[in-house]
This record gives sequence, structure tokens and C-alpha cells, in this order.
Amino acid sequence: MGKHEIRLRRQRMAARGSDRFRNYSAVMKQHGEGKRIKLITRIFTFLFLIIALIIVFVVVSRWEKKQTGQEQKTSQIENVQTAT
Amino acid sequence: MTENEIRKEQTIIERSRKDPQAFGELYEKYFDRIFNYILRQTDNDELTGDLCSQTFVNALNNLGKYEFRGFPFSAWLYKIAGNEVNKHYRKNKGKKIFSIEELKVRELVEQTTESWDEELINRVIHYMNELPTDMIQVLELRFFEDKDFKEIAFILDMTESGAKMRTYRALDKLRTNFNLKVKYDG
Repeated sequence: MGKHEIRLRRQRMAARGSDRFRNYSAVMKQHGEGKRIKLITRIFTFLFLIIALIIVFVVVSRWEKKQTGQEQKTSQIENVQTAT
Repeated sequence: MTENEIRKEQTIIERSRKDPQAFGELYEKYFDRIFNYILRQTDNDELTGDLCSQTFVNALNNLGKYEFRGFPFSAWLYKIAGNEVNKHYRKNKGKKIFSIEELKVRELVEQTTESWDEELINRVIHYMNELPTDMIQVLELRFFEDKDFKEIAFILDMTESGAKMRTYRALDKLRTNFNLKVKYDG
């Protein structure tokens, strides 16, 4: 036996009727909700990326500041050493 | 489908990309066919209603990605519907159902010597149950949905020759097991 089950239907498909499930306005509503969720997700992703970029920028600039401060300190020490 | 009809459909699709309300025309046109296609694979009206509406929502959501490849728009809808059905069975880990009309089975197996009776129909169902699911899928599209091999290949994401081969193999199996004449068109 396969992974499926064959069932035999005596009546024709059309006789069963699909009209009670036909509802385009429900499809439109669902589409609209999906679109809204997509837009919100996009906005959040965009904001997240901007925040991440700002954090990276702040970390790099602080690190640079620290580096230049250390360089200044070592050059001052060198100057003092050569003077003495 | 005539070239004129396909062109008209393309115009509706173009319009629907800007105004989703225009998609309603295609929804009305294909709803029954997609509903019946899903119903054949679920045998459950309520579930079919849900999957069918999800199919059209997905189509509408992804209309921007739709590319015309020489097939009627319905082929794309069949593909989405098939994916929705597969997703449902994967999620629920159930056995896939193929609910087929007796009349169509009679069309598939052209009777020659024996007359149609309950036992014969049960034998057809028994042999179809023994075929692999992917073979039933192509048989369903070929004989119950009247699709050509090019369209079947597109819907099932396979090559045209692959679709032909799978159909012929399935029919061969049915013929050998059955010792009956099976409709063999290509």
C-alpha cells in the first residue's frame, strides 16, 4: 500500500457545490492583512538595520578615540623620556 | 485556450498588480476548477474551502513574481494549490487522499471484455492504491484534470519527458496488473 488512499466518489464533482466557499472579499481581506504585516515587518527590519548601523558607528568611533588617546599618551611618554 | 484568451488574461494580471480588485475576474473564472482539484486530494469540503482561499491569497500576494511562460494562468494556480495541499499533509502527517469520480475511472479504463461491476471498480481502486503517490499525481492531472504533459511538468516541477515517462509507467503498471485496456494517449 502506498502513502495515499484512493477513495471512489459516486457523484460528480459539480453536484457537490463549491459556491458556499466562494468569497472574494474574504480573499481580499486576507491579502490586505498580509500586505500590512509585510509592511510592518519591513519597517521593523529597516529600523533594526539603522539601529545596528548606529551601534557599529558608535563602537568604532569610541574605539578610534581610545586608540588616538593611547597614541597621544605613548608619544607624550616618549617625549618626556627623550627630554630627560 | 486561444491566444486571444491568454492575452486577455495577461491584461487582467497586469491590472491586478496595481488593483487587486481586478483579480476577482480570474478568481471567479478558476475557483471551481481549483476547488475541485483540491477536493480530489482532500475529500473534505471545509478543508478544501480553506486551502482554496489560501491558494488565491498566495497567488494575489505573489502576483508580482508571476511570469508568463506560455501556459494559461490556471497552471500557476494549480501549482500553488498543489503546494498548499502538500503543505497541509506535511504538517498533519496524514495519508494523502485521492478522491476520484467513478465516471472518470470508467473513462480511464476502457472496458473490453468484462462488464463494469462493483468488483472491477474495487480492483481498479486496489491497484491504484498500490501505485506510488507521484504516479497517481500525474494520472490525476492527465486524466481527471485533462492537462497536457507540458502543463503537468510545470505544475509538478519536473521535465516534460519525466511527466510522460511517469504517466506511461503508471499506465503500464495498471495494464499489467489488470490485464485490461487502459486509455493510452500521449
